[in-house]
Formats: sequence, structure tokens, C-alpha cells
Amino acid sequence: MTDPRFNDVLTRRQLLRRVAVGGTVLTMPALLAACGGGSEAGGTTAAATGGGKPQLKDVLNFSNWELYIDTPDTLKAAGINKPTTLQQFTDKTGIKVNYYEDVNSNPEYFAKVQGPLSQGKGIDRDIFVSTDNDRFLGQYIDNKWVQKLDKSLIPNMKNLIDAQAHPPFDSNRDYSLPWFSGMDGIAWNEDATGPVSSVKQLLEDPELKGRVGVWNSMGDTLGLIMLENGDDPAKVTDESFDRALARVQQAVDSGQIRAFYGNNYAQPLSKGDLAASMAWSGDIFNLQSPKLTWILPETGGIIWTDNMVIPPGGDVPTASTYMNFVYDPTIAAQLALGAGYISSVKGVPEEAAKLNPKAAENTLVFPTDDMLSKVHQNDPAMLNNPDYIKRWESVQGH
Amino acid sequence: MGSFLHRHRGLTPYLLLAPGVLWLGIFFLIPLGFLAYEALQSGIFPDFKFTWEFSNFSDSLSGYHEQLVRSFFYAGIATVACLVLAYPLVYWIAFRAGPWRNLFLLFIVAPFFVTYLVRTLAWLNILADQGPVVGFLRDIHVLAPDGRLLATTFAVVSGITYNFFPFMALPIYVSLEQIDPRLLEAAKDLYSSSTQAFLRVTLPLSAPGIVAGTLLTFIPAAGDFINAALLGTPNQAMIGNVIQSKFLESLDYPSAAALSFILMGAILVALLVYARIVGTEKLTG
Amino acid sequence: MTTAAETVALRARAGLGARAWRFVKRHTLTVYAFLVVAYLMLPIAVVILFSFNAPKGRFNYIWEGFTFKNWIHWNAVLGISGALETSIEVALVSTLVATALGTLMAMAIVRHQFTGRGGTNLLVFLPMSTPEIVLGASLLTLFLNATALFQLGFWTIFIAHVMFIISFVVVTVKARLIGFDRHLEEAAMDLGANELTTFRKVTLPLIAPAMLAAALLGFALSIDDFVITYLNAGATQTFPIFVWGIARVAVPPQVNVVASAIFLVAIAIGLGNVFSQYRAAKR
Repeated sequence: MTDPRFNDVLTRRQLLRRVAVGGTVLTMPALLAACGGGSEAGGTTAAATGGGKPQLKDVLNFSNWELYIDTPDTLKAAGINKPTTLQQFTDKTGIKVNYYEDVNSNPEYFAKVQGPLSQGKGIDRDIFVSTDNDRFLGQYIDNKWVQKLDKSLIPNMKNLIDAQAHPPFDSNRDYSLPWFSGMDGIAWNEDATGPVSSVKQLLEDPELKGRVGVWNSMGDTLGLIMLENGDDPAKVTDESFDRALARVQQAVDSGQIRAFYGNNYAQPLSKGDLAASMAWSGDIFNLQSPKLTWILPETGGIIWTDNMVIPPGGDVPTASTYMNFVYDPTIAAQLALGAGYISSVKGVPEEAAKLNPKAAENTLVFPTDDMLSKVHQNDPAMLNNPDYIKRWESVQGH
Repeated sequence: MGSFLHRHRGLTPYLLLAPGVLWLGIFFLIPLGFLAYEALQSGIFPDFKFTWEFSNFSDSLSGYHEQLVRSFFYAGIATVACLVLAYPLVYWIAFRAGPWRNLFLLFIVAPFFVTYLVRTLAWLNILADQGPVVGFLRDIHVLAPDGRLLATTFAVVSGITYNFFPFMALPIYVSLEQIDPRLLEAAKDLYSSSTQAFLRVTLPLSAPGIVAGTLLTFIPAAGDFINAALLGTPNQAMIGNVIQSKFLESLDYPSAAALSFILMGAILVALLVYARIVGTEKLTG
Repeated sequence: MTTAAETVALRARAGLGARAWRFVKRHTLTVYAFLVVAYLMLPIAVVILFSFNAPKGRFNYIWEGFTFKNWIHWNAVLGISGALETSIEVALVSTLVATALGTLMAMAIVRHQFTGRGGTNLLVFLPMSTPEIVLGASLLTLFLNATALFQLGFWTIFIAHVMFIISFVVVTVKARLIGFDRHLEEAAMDLGANELTTFRKVTLPLIAPAMLAAALLGFALSIDDFVITYLNAGATQTFPIFVWGIARVAVPPQVNVVASAIFLVAIAIGLGNVFSQYRAAKR
């Protein structure tokens, strides 16, 4: 089952030409407006003069995961003395952002919004975020339940790193743009155990029995296990799936695994209810706890990316303007340092070093090339396979 | 208007019932109908088709009977635990607490005023592996040195017991309170020990309360999923967890609907068996 | 052969033993009662205690220090006030409607013989005996199949809450109505009042306490409901839904604050009721 979109690759020339055209379209109305004396200062809405520069709303509704953006506290901890990026956006464009942290899990969010979205109705949001290593992002885009970005308003899209330019679920980047990426690895609490350096130790060391956590998402957990098995998580076969699932089942039956977690492994891990757990790089970075250590297993980790999409009813120009804003390297750098996750914007490590040289050395937020070579993405086909889905739910007891 | 009602006496009950029955009809019965329709569909989200797929029921039963049995087991133990814990307490409140009885009734109901989730999460704090309770139990060797309370069957059943305690306590209190005190006096005169008086008179008279409490506790407990989700491991998963996961995670609506009916059917069977044992008059009334 | 004095002494000692046993028997139950109450209150005490905690990090499970800041800035967590507001609004509206509908139904069932009485009783009993997850999921199915009429949000939550509260109202008011003295109403009508006036001036005030009790019960059920609301809320958040979401990462002390506040208000009302009844009993 080959997806025709896999074959759609933009040549470098095509990409440059599109950016050039987009740039021109953007500057022309601005010139006309300047001539005609149109827009107000600090404009809430851009005057719709001549070249058809779109009107922007004065409010943006943005749904995101928790602890996924810079806040005054995290900026202070990172030694950055600036207003938050949301505040800077409002200062620059006059658009107020209603920021909702109500994405708690990809399947739950999907279940919440699929009713209205499938009818083409809005959910009172302009942007929401979904992860690429769960099947739902692909479904939103495949089913056309999200709107196309207005790339003419996102010239900064040229700053998107090459590795993210043509993902399988949106090869033209028509519908989505990365927000943050994160790495899957293993973390342990040194008060509760010695170093836990491999998936094998996590799943089989009897010392850790009943104090081990794994994720409830298939891509993350099975991905790590497949890598240790020597299989490729980006190209899953029935055999490699069976091998990985069997190891999980064994760990459940023996009582090794305490529970399958979403984001909520962090508290039990800090408390010591969990001695070790599969963990996300950003979570451990943000906890800033000397007791917790995060490592990328030798056999490799998984990298996933959360993507911004625009639901129906969302205002495409306003949303696109915001996306453009966060693709500015300085803003992106502040976001990365403030949230503790990996940016997909070019030039961020350098800008981050300017903001805070010490913080920019953290490999959890700015992974080295060596680390990047060890992380892999998940196979979308595995995520969408109904038989795999059913068996994955079964191994969790439900 | 008064004379209209007077002339159409027969209509009055129907008029009174109409709004409520309509509400329940539209928002309880019809949804169950939709659920039944869904239970006979097949396919993969979002393309479901109605195909008289009775195999949904047999497949779900064979696939998840373990969780179903486990749910009834946990709910049963929790119900018995609630009964054993609650009865002496409400007996004391009804007969010994004097003017303070309402205060103690308030204490019973009080946990309900703290959100279900928050009070269950509080147990996570209290029973933490590194917390004082577990530490103490390890010190006195009730628990093994690496033993724990959380993420066990004990934790899940305890959670269910705690959360449904008022449902058992209050009905029993109501029936104890309604006992004519003259009967109690007569019993004291008749029987040699207070234990006899209790067993022969008080206990049987409180039977309706016990029956009501048992039902009000067991039925919701059997369908609960929060305690198992927060306090257990995958090996404690209940049928409620399966249904929730099928609705919200695998989006397998036909199986989820079939399982819902299987759960309701199982509860109905349990109810019928229970009614046979205790006698149907105690159930209605 | 014992002397009279020794016999008296023996009996006195036996009396002491028996008295001691009676003392223990008498007070065991009381001690037990207090222990059970302590067990019931323990998690609540923990919740309230930790609402005054000043956690250094994100998690609130270790006591770090006392502070009033969480109570003053209870609103500091994004979404908490909106969720609380929604919870209270839904509870008020749905309790009102459910109490009205349920009382009417109770009156019909208790005071009239009509065909379908058994069926109505069954209809009222069924929602109480259906697991919450089934109630919520089936209602969701209805809403998803009729998206033109129903948008998941405040009003679908309202509909769901009225649906499951009605049964409790019917049962509560029914219990009161069964012991109701019809003679009062007959007397009023003999004195010349028509049916509506009788209802307004005699019946209603007499069943008002039961309606109030039912309303309070309904309000409590609505504010605390999680499962049914969770499935039918769409993107709207009530307080329990908010807690579930935020518990995925870390529960901030402000959640403890709001939960404690709801608890304290309810307890205050309850205590007020207790003391007024205590004084009435003493009189």
C-alpha cells in the first residue's frame, strides 16, 4: 500500500520559486498600503487595500499540550529577560492569544473534536496541535478535517529544517507545521535505583519489578523495543511487531510494568513510585531535578514531532501569521529554551546561545548530531493498522 | 384552568409525567436504541456499516470475559467491605449518637463534596511507595521490605470501597432510623442478650436498607474504571476500562457498544439472582 | 466455706469484671465509629492540607512549607476558573430543571393510579442501575448522530445531567409524598380553594423540604460528575474534567484549593442545617 504522496518531492528550485512568489505577494500589499496610508498603527486589522492583504482577527485561539510553551517562570529559570513569546506576538501584531492547554492525549482530543470536525464545523479554535507518531494527525489531514495554511503569510517557512520538509503525512507542508519535537528515551530516579541504561533492563531486571513505566502510545513504546530488537521502527513488519509486543506482554504478565502512562509518568517517577520509566526528553529537562537522569538508549530512540494544524472555523490568515511569527529563529530559540523541547527552525542553536550560552549547551533541547543519528521515526502504517491497534489495547488490559 | 383539570381528572397524571418521561425517553431510551444499532455495526472508524453483526457480542465476550468477571469480583468484594464497615457505624449513629446524628451523617457524606478524582488522587499521595503509611507497614512487617500498596488489587478494591461508602451507609441508616423504638424495647425484653435482640429484630428490620445499599453500591462499582486506572496495573483492568478505551482510544464503537450491553445484561442477571435470594418485595417498596 | 464478707467481696470483684466488660462493649462501637469517620476524612484532610503547601517544583506531594498564596491566587492556573464557573452553572440549571421535572413525576406516580405506572417506575429506576459509562456513551452516540441539533458543549452536558438527576429526585420526593397527609389538601379545598391554589399554598410548602433535599442531592451529583460529562462535553471543561486533564501532568495546589472550597461551602451549609435541627430537637 504505497501512498502516492511519498513520491511528491519538491525540487530545490521549485521550493525556492514558491518562496520567492510568496514573498512578493506579501510585500506588494504592504507597499500599496504604505502609499495609500491605509493601516492604523499597531493595527488590529490590516486594511484590505488593493493587493488583497487579508483581514486578521484580533483574537487567536490556540489549543496545545500542557507545559509546552515559554512562561515567565521558565524564562526566568533559563535566564532570559524578555516577555513571553505570546506577549511579544500580541505586542507586535495586536492580536490577543487565548492559549488553552487542553490537549492531554492524542486519542482523547481526537474523540473530542471528531464530531464537529467531520461535519466541517469548527471547534472554536484557530490552531491545535497533534503528534506525528500517533495515527490521528494523519487522519486529520487525510480526511481534510483541517484547512490549508496560507503560505503566503508564512515566509519564515523557509526556516523549516530540511528533515521536516516532507513528512509522510503532509509531504507538501500544506496543512501543518512543526511546533516542537521530542525524543523518547529512558529516565530513572537515582533514589530508587541505579542507572537503567537499556530497554532490556527496564523490562526484565527483577530489581525493578512493579516500578517500571512505559507509554500507552504504540509508536513510542514499541518503537524503542523494536530498536533494541534490531528492527526498524520506520518499516514495521508483522514479525517485528510480534517480537516487540511479546516483550511487552511478558513484562505485563510478570508484573514488571506498573502501568502504561501518558504524560503522567513524571510524578510517580519523581516520587519514587516508579524507579525507572520510558520518558520524554523535554519532561525530564523541565523537571530540573538532580535525582532524575535521562538517556538515549545505545540501540537508539524515537523522535516525534507535534504539528500545528488549523481546524475548520479557524481563521487561516490569523493562524498563519502566528505560525510565521514562531518560525522566526529568535522567537523559536526563546520557545525552545522556555519549553525545553527541540525546535524545527533553522538557526535556533545559534540564537539560543545568544540568549543564554549555558542553556544552549543542553543536549536534550539541542541534540548533537550523534544523538540525531540515533533517533528514528515511527511507521505510519503501523500506527493505522487496526489489528495492531486492537492487540496494543489488549496488552494494556483493555 | 383548575376546572379544566378537574373535568379531565384522568389526564392529570399523564400531564404531570409528560415532561420528565419525554426527557428520559429522548435522552435515555433513544440513545440506548442508537447504542444497540451501533452494537450491530461493523467496520473501522470512521466507516461503520450496519450489518447485523451479532459476532460483536460473542467476540467481545470471549475477548474480555476476564475483565468482566474481575469487575464483578472487585465490585462484590467492595460491596461486602462497605457493608461490614458501614453497618456498625450507622448503627451507632442511629442508636447512640443522640442529637449529634446529623453531624455524623454529614461526615459520611462529606467525602462526596470533594471531587471524585481529587479524593482518589489523595489516596495516591497517602499510599505512596515512599510515603509514611507504606513505610510504617513495612516496619511492622505487614508488608515485605519491597512491598507496596499502590498498583495492586488491594488498592483498587479499597478505592472502590471508599468512593461508594455513602451509597451503602445512607440507605441502611434510613431503614434503621425508621424502626419503631417500641419494637426494639420489646426485643430487649424478649431476648436474653442484646446480641440476640440485634440478630432477631434489628437486623431483619434493616434488611430493606441493606438490599438498597447493596444495589446502589454494586451496580455503579461494577462499571467503574477510574479506580482501576489510577490505582491499579494493567492486570487490574475492569470492564469499564475496556469500554472507555474502545470508545475513546481505539474508536471501536461497535465493540464498545456491544460490551456496554453485555455489562448491562450481566448486571441484570446479577440483579435477578439477588432478587430471587432476598425476595422481590424487598427490592421494590 | 466462704464467709458472708468474702462472698460480698467476690461478688464485688465479679461485678467489677462484668462492669469493665460492659464498659468495653459499650464504647467499642463508639471507638469504631470514630475510627471509620477518621478513615473517611483522611483523604479530605490531605487535600485541604496540601492546598496550603508551597511546592518548590511542579508536583504537590511533599510538604515544603505553609502558604496562603494558593488561596489568594487560586485563579493562577489556566482554565481553572472557567471550569469551575461552567461546573456551577451547569449544576444550577440542570438541578432546577431536574427537580421540577422529577417532582411532577413523583406526584403523578404517588397520587394517581394509571396504566403505565409500573412502566414509569421502571423507566425511573433504569438510569440509576445503568453504569455511568454506558449512560454517557449512549448519549454521546445520540449527539454524534444528530450533530445538526446537538453541538457537544455546555448544553449537551446540561441535558446529560438532567437525565441522570431526574431519577434521584423522583425517588427522594416520592419517599416524602408517600407519607403525605392528603387531609390537609382536602381541608383546603373544602374551604374553597381550587386545585391550583391548594397546590400552591398547601402542597408545595409541605413537600418543599423534600424538593430541597432532592435539589441538593442533584446539585452534588452534577458538580461531581465525571464519566458522563467527560464523554459529552466536547471541548468544554467542567471542574472534574479539568482535574482529569491536569492530572495527566501535575496537579497544582490550586486544584486542592478549589476542591477544598467546594467542600467547605457544602460543609458549612450542612453544619448550618445540623445545628438548626439540633436546636429544634432540644426545644
